[in-house]
Amino acid sequence: MREEWEKRLNHIRIRKEDMNKLVMNFLVTEGYAEAVAKFRMETGTEPDMDVAMITDRMAVKKAVQCGNVEDAIEKVNDLNPEILDTNPELFFHLQQQRLIELIRNEKIEEALEFAQEELALRGEENQSFLEELERTVSLLVFKDVSNCPLRELLDISQRLKTANDVNAAILTSQSHEKGLNTINNIRSLSLEIVRKLVYLLALAQNIILESYLFNK
Amino acid sequence: MPSATVNKPRPSELLSRLTSAEPEVKVRALREVKNQIIGNRTKKLSFLKLGAVPAVAGILADSIDDVTENNNCNNTNNFLVQSAAALGSFACGFDAGVQAVLDAGAFPNLLRLLANPNEKVVDAVARALRMIYQSKLAPKYDFLQQKNMEFLISLLNSEKETVSGLGASIITRSCETNLEQKALFDAGILRKLNSLLEGGSLSQRDASLESLATVFRNNPEVISKFAGPEIGRPLSSIIDLAKDRYPRTRLLACMCLIVIRNASPHFLQDIGIKTKLIHILLELLDDPGQVGDEAPFAFSSLIAQKEDLQKLALEANAIDKFHHHIKKGSLHPRRYEGILLALADMCSKLESCRTKFLSLQAKPSQSLEPFKALASNGIHTATKPKPSSSRDQELMLASFVLNLVADALTDYNAGVRAAACICLKSVTRSIQKLSAGYFMNETIVIPLVQLFLDPSTSVQVAALGATSNIVVDFTTSKSIFVQCGGMKQLIQLAKSMESSVRSNALWALKNFVFQADNRLKEGVFSELTASLLSSLIRDPEPSVQEQALALVRNLVDGCINLIEFVFAEDGLILGAIGRQLQCASKAEIGIQGMYALCNVASGNEFHREAVMQLLFTQMGDKNQSFVVKFLQSNDSQLRTATVWTIVNLTCPSSPGAPCRLEKLRNAGIVSQIKNMVNDPCVDVKVAIFFIFRISPCENSARAIYGFRGQLSMSVFIHYSEYKRQEILKQLVFQSSSPLFF
Repeated sequence: MREEWEKRLNHIRIRKEDMNKLVMNFLVTEGYAEAVAKFRMETGTEPDMDVAMITDRMAVKKAVQCGNVEDAIEKVNDLNPEILDTNPELFFHLQQQRLIELIRNEKIEEALEFAQEELALRGEENQSFLEELERTVSLLVFKDVSNCPLRELLDISQRLKTANDVNAAILTSQSHEKGLNTINNIRSLSLEIVRKLVYLLALAQNIILESYLFNK
Repeated sequence: MPSATVNKPRPSELLSRLTSAEPEVKVRALREVKNQIIGNRTKKLSFLKLGAVPAVAGILADSIDDVTENNNCNNTNNFLVQSAAALGSFACGFDAGVQAVLDAGAFPNLLRLLANPNEKVVDAVARALRMIYQSKLAPKYDFLQQKNMEFLISLLNSEKETVSGLGASIITRSCETNLEQKALFDAGILRKLNSLLEGGSLSQRDASLESLATVFRNNPEVISKFAGPEIGRPLSSIIDLAKDRYPRTRLLACMCLIVIRNASPHFLQDIGIKTKLIHILLELLDDPGQVGDEAPFAFSSLIAQKEDLQKLALEANAIDKFHHHIKKGSLHPRRYEGILLALADMCSKLESCRTKFLSLQAKPSQSLEPFKALASNGIHTATKPKPSSSRDQELMLASFVLNLVADALTDYNAGVRAAACICLKSVTRSIQKLSAGYFMNETIVIPLVQLFLDPSTSVQVAALGATSNIVVDFTTSKSIFVQCGGMKQLIQLAKSMESSVRSNALWALKNFVFQADNRLKEGVFSELTASLLSSLIRDPEPSVQEQALALVRNLVDGCINLIEFVFAEDGLILGAIGRQLQCASKAEIGIQGMYALCNVASGNEFHREAVMQLLFTQMGDKNQSFVVKFLQSNDSQLRTATVWTIVNLTCPSSPGAPCRLEKLRNAGIVSQIKNMVNDPCVDVKVAIFFIFRISPCENSARAIYGFRGQLSMSVFIHYSEYKRQEILKQLVFQSSSPLFF
């Protein structure tokens, strides 16, 4: 039975290199610069991009996660001014987040002025933003924002979502190699591995059952 | 009220800080300007108006001087990076910004800075230049100069993504002629681009795809050299990229493949690749961004004029998919325009596509409910409505999708309005639906007629095109069109300054009076007046002349009273026709003019004598006679039209016929015609039968009904409803029919 198991195991090829690449990609995408360096040393797997760029990108992500949207925008523009110039949806979401932060900090007058001067223009420039714009601006109507129907906009998850969008956009602009260092690819590679693991599990179950029946 | 953003300086104040003596203040102001304009088109415009661009360009120029004088390096680099980034942002997707940057003289400075040792400076500068080259206002790059080609090669060979991307942008923007394409190939540029395809980063691959498409466009020679055995199998790398994970790469790869397909009959012709391209493009429609906006345009370039591809697309449910997207509403105008044009291409040739389009429903339940209710109503009264026929059901279904098109006709964006008209034009080529009266209704006609007054010429012309088809309507009256002032508007447009508007308005009028009743024709003529029509016949533009003559042809066809039109005001129109035929610049003018004369000659003796006189007064010298010239023409339609005119002039029932025949014989016309008995064109032979009075048997009668341009035969043939339909079918299936747009 052991031979049976090992024979079947050999048919499954989850190469160690693939696993390592997957882990490295994860570390790079999530921005764990020190872990990247250590893992590189231990396994010899090469990251697909310059480690210095990871730090830059993480600074931006962190700024959004802390609610310092203006700072994040300046950092993105220093990294690559094209990202926000050619990505109106992302720019809109960042400005939307900025408005949310102003409202959260109860700077209502500033929020009103910002909504009028900046966000309204985005809605004018692009009609598909109007609906989301209206939702966000509606926050200004409520006295108690934390209990209003739109309170999910104030949730930390909204910040994280925006942060992830910015992270993805920067990654795309920095992507060098053909394919492997992006979030999508991590997903597809990990999906492949998970599929194989599930098969292994099923296989293990079958073999145990067989042996049970056999022995009976 | 105190300003909440008091710490945010106003644009005018920022601008003044740009000229500050203190470098710290200056660089901070520069960075602030850059951050305010990035992503913000409105701010770009307002800073532009305040003169920000020359100020920033000035800082760039000063910093270059500092570099050459080796002044404070870090500070200088900072200035260079920020000013280049700001200029690049002004130029990004904003033509007024590009113009301002060029006017401020920044372009040569930016080029020089590509050789700067600092990486960040080079990056910023390369990006700025690439933004400029993405605009049509970019200066033309002369590839044919050796120096320039070498510079381009050095850009492409650079390890920096931004710089090689710039090289590719220059090619995409500036490469236009076959000569330039060949020069690029000879310099080995394509090999370099191919290597970027296979081993480059995302942006390099995308840039490379765009450049390759530009070099391949309409150049089968370069394509076959590229796809030849020397470079391996480069086409396969492009095909692979059509399945890439990034939507933009997929789109660009498809566009490159389509350029190759369209230019060269040898590549990418198998059904597998065709189907794949269709599916990929339809799937790209789901992308919410710019890629989804551009996908329908790429789809159009794939299927336009190609029936086989339209059929494949129909099977792939393309029409449903497009309809689904339009229904969603609040589309970006570019996407809306693209989808309408793609639908127009789909319905341009195949009746199956048009039927499919018109059978689409707004909501599945909506269409049949009212009819079900009627059917279940058990009340028998005198006023009970007749059970709805399937035709009524069809009409109702069609009205849903036509409502969608009608909405687009009133869209605020001119491109969308024009595209809606073009879509209508395609759909209204359906004889079946026209005969069933699908389109002559208020939903369509009223907004369409309003577009005759549209500020944009292209919208006017497109609206006229759709109208031309819709007014060919036999079953319902054209009163809706007349009532909403359509006819009067058309006549007004015939006086337009734009020749394309004049000729298309005449085309619509020509179709409007095609086999219309006498009252309608008289109405048109009295509104039009003989003097206007004769001046249009003598218009400087040949296309206008042709349509004006065709209008006369259709006007005088039918009742004898209508022929009097050409004699009005001392025979103004007849005279104009004669003069125009004498100096006809193209065959089409001769054809329409001769059929007009042919119809006139189908009247009475007076009419025939007048035509005869026209033919003979123009014939000063026999060799220059336009009649003989037309009989000897290479164009079979022209020969046919001329022979039919002679037929009418010599028809045996008229007393003056022998005399006219004699005159024609003396002028050598009869012998010319005798030589044409074995003319290669069947239509000509049929007409000649009548000259020599060989009685038309069953076969030749059938031959006549299968023959275009019957309108002059009113003497010999009486139309029945059935025969009219037969003739009409023939008219439509001829691709060069004068009738349908």
